Amino acid sequence: MRQSASTVSRRALVAGSLALAALGPRAARAEEALRFGMAMPLSGGQATYGQDQVKAAEWAVAAINQAGGVAGRKLEMIVLDTRADPQAGIQAANRLISVDRVPAFVSAWSAVVKAIAPVANDSRTVQLSVGANSADIARLGDYTYTTFPLAAVDITAVANYAARQMGKKRAAVLYINNETGTVAAQIYRDVFAKAGGQVVAYEAYDPRASDWTGPLLKVRAAQPDIVHIQGLVADTPQVIAQMRQLGLTLPVTSYSAVYNPKLIEQLGKAAEGVIATSLAPGVTDSPAVAAYVERWKKEVGREPNGLPYTQYLYDAPYLVAEIYRSLAGKKLALTGENVRKEMIAIRTFDLPLTGKLVINDDHTVTKPVYLMEVKDGRWVQKAVVE
Amino acid sequence: MLTFDTIAQVLWTSFATSTCLVLFAVAFALVLKVNRIFNFAQAGVMTVAFYAAHGAVSGAGLPGWFGCLLALAAAVAASALLEVAGFRSLRRRRATPMFVFIFTLIVSEMVAYLAMLAFGTWPTTIFPSLFWPVTLVGGVAVSAWDLPAIAGMLASLALLAGFLRLAKAGRSMTAVADNPDLAELYGIEKDRVYLVTVVVSGLLVGVGMCLYGSRAQVQPTTAIELMLFAVAATIIGGIGNLWGAALTAVALGIVQNASVLFIPAEWQGFLLYVFLFLAIVFLPNGIRLPERRRGLARRLARVDLAAADGAGPAAAAGPAAATRREA
Repeated sequence: MRQSASTVSRRALVAGSLALAALGPRAARAEEALRFGMAMPLSGGQATYGQDQVKAAEWAVAAINQAGGVAGRKLEMIVLDTRADPQAGIQAANRLISVDRVPAFVSAWSAVVKAIAPVANDSRTVQLSVGANSADIARLGDYTYTTFPLAAVDITAVANYAARQMGKKRAAVLYINNETGTVAAQIYRDVFAKAGGQVVAYEAYDPRASDWTGPLLKVRAAQPDIVHIQGLVADTPQVIAQMRQLGLTLPVTSYSAVYNPKLIEQLGKAAEGVIATSLAPGVTDSPAVAAYVERWKKEVGREPNGLPYTQYLYDAPYLVAEIYRSLAGKKLALTGENVRKEMIAIRTFDLPLTGKLVINDDHTVTKPVYLMEVKDGRWVQKAVVE
Repeated sequence: MLTFDTIAQVLWTSFATSTCLVLFAVAFALVLKVNRIFNFAQAGVMTVAFYAAHGAVSGAGLPGWFGCLLALAAAVAASALLEVAGFRSLRRRRATPMFVFIFTLIVSEMVAYLAMLAFGTWPTTIFPSLFWPVTLVGGVAVSAWDLPAIAGMLASLALLAGFLRLAKAGRSMTAVADNPDLAELYGIEKDRVYLVTVVVSGLLVGVGMCLYGSRAQVQPTTAIELMLFAVAATIIGGIGNLWGAALTAVALGIVQNASVLFIPAEWQGFLLYVFLFLAIVFLPNGIRLPERRRGLARRLARVDLAAADGAGPAAAAGPAAATRREA
């Protein structure tokens, strides 16, 4: 009995193999998915963000496949862990390029993107940086592109808006003494001065500081009419709280790290008037974003960590799918070189959660900056700076 | 810039914010003095205490006092576990101090990693709100957090001083700190004393984290960063000198904050390393007051465990008395 079953099984296997051979390579290819890679931190200190971003991209891939895939084929995303570590990032990129043979892959975190760039250039595989904002990313060679606006974009917008639209003349800049703070603070200072304002206090603080009385008293003594704080998500709410406690009720501007509902919860009325930037439309600007956030609440039980970043990650598979679809329509091979050429040729993409994206020749992107302000205990849109 | 109000504000806020740092420094100095361990695993206990309070108050919506009690219980449990499962086992295997030190580093990193997996890296506080109401006293802003924090720190230190001087277990700690082998000859159970010491240290850490986490945001690695301050205060204050570590923590906090009025703020953090470097190179035994003033200082503020008087059972007083005779 056992032997019989085995014989039947062998016969079925041979028959199946013959049938497959008869159908030929075209049938095999029809089932073969179109692949792209995703190298993100799934473990380590940045995993909280990385995991949410990957989940957003997975939802997008599932939605694309549910809608028929790309030119009749499924889109497949191969996810590897970088731990937000450059060395692990290089290993992940090598695996995606050499083993999985993807023509394009998504990555994030400035240090990782920078480390991977030579590998992408050598292998002529497109690296799409989605979320890293170091200004250097625009200068990493022919095969690294970003879909995320780089650092200068939102800081320039907020500095210009403060000087020109809000009519502020005396700004104080308080920034964390690391790469995130120093570079952006310089941009703010230069743009604000160029727009006709004067930076009356320019104070750094230590990344490990837990008290900001000294720098804030210096700011108070300079008598500014607006304060720009360039810190991290951990310290900025505390700086604002202490600033209000010291009697500084001036308007405060900051950037995208501050734009989250937690700030209002932590500061209460002290958050009123805080202006932050967002590089993606919010729930009030787009029904698609509102539905997306609702889905998070329903399926995960919370909003995603770093909402705007996950919006960009959700859109990344759509961008890849459009390029692949275009190449398939032109019957061109799916290589890194062709993906790059096609992406530049298409140039303007209309994406579901972040809207219009234009890829510029200098490897930057053009996106509007949304200025958000805390009013009556919630974030409301103050202006859109194109 | 250097107005009276500015100087008074910096001094007041620095003093208030140094309260939790004082408790961390004294907890570290206590274990170093009695158990002779550079206990970097204290960072792990701090992390456990914070997330216990955070989980209870912000997570489960329980009252703040309950969260703090839970933080104390969690810190005590974590400290006892550390002693029983870690340090005691290492002592039995006659591990070298360097090996024990490495063990404490591993524990602190391990707890930080576990906290990262369990709670993520998003900075959090015990209470949902970071903002404390402010009262202006003259030109100085006094927040509603300041006075309870100072009172909490002073009460904790007073209880510790009372415990060391009056309780039998406290005097046993003094004896073991002075000479563990001699204390054992007098019938003091060393392992029990070591356990009591880490538990007392855990309580101090629990109070400190309740204060710190109700004012500042905490991430899984925050406690590791705070440990540098505790180590600096212990070394500069004189290893084995509990109140020296406490006073140094206050002084370092004030100097670091006030320095911003004279130097660019980005050099603020560097100052701590400068002090630490100078202390290790030029004052390896910490800052010692001149002999004439030491008597008064000792009476007022300094309880040097090695010099604690022998009032109480002979078992506890014996080793300390022996040391005085040798001196």
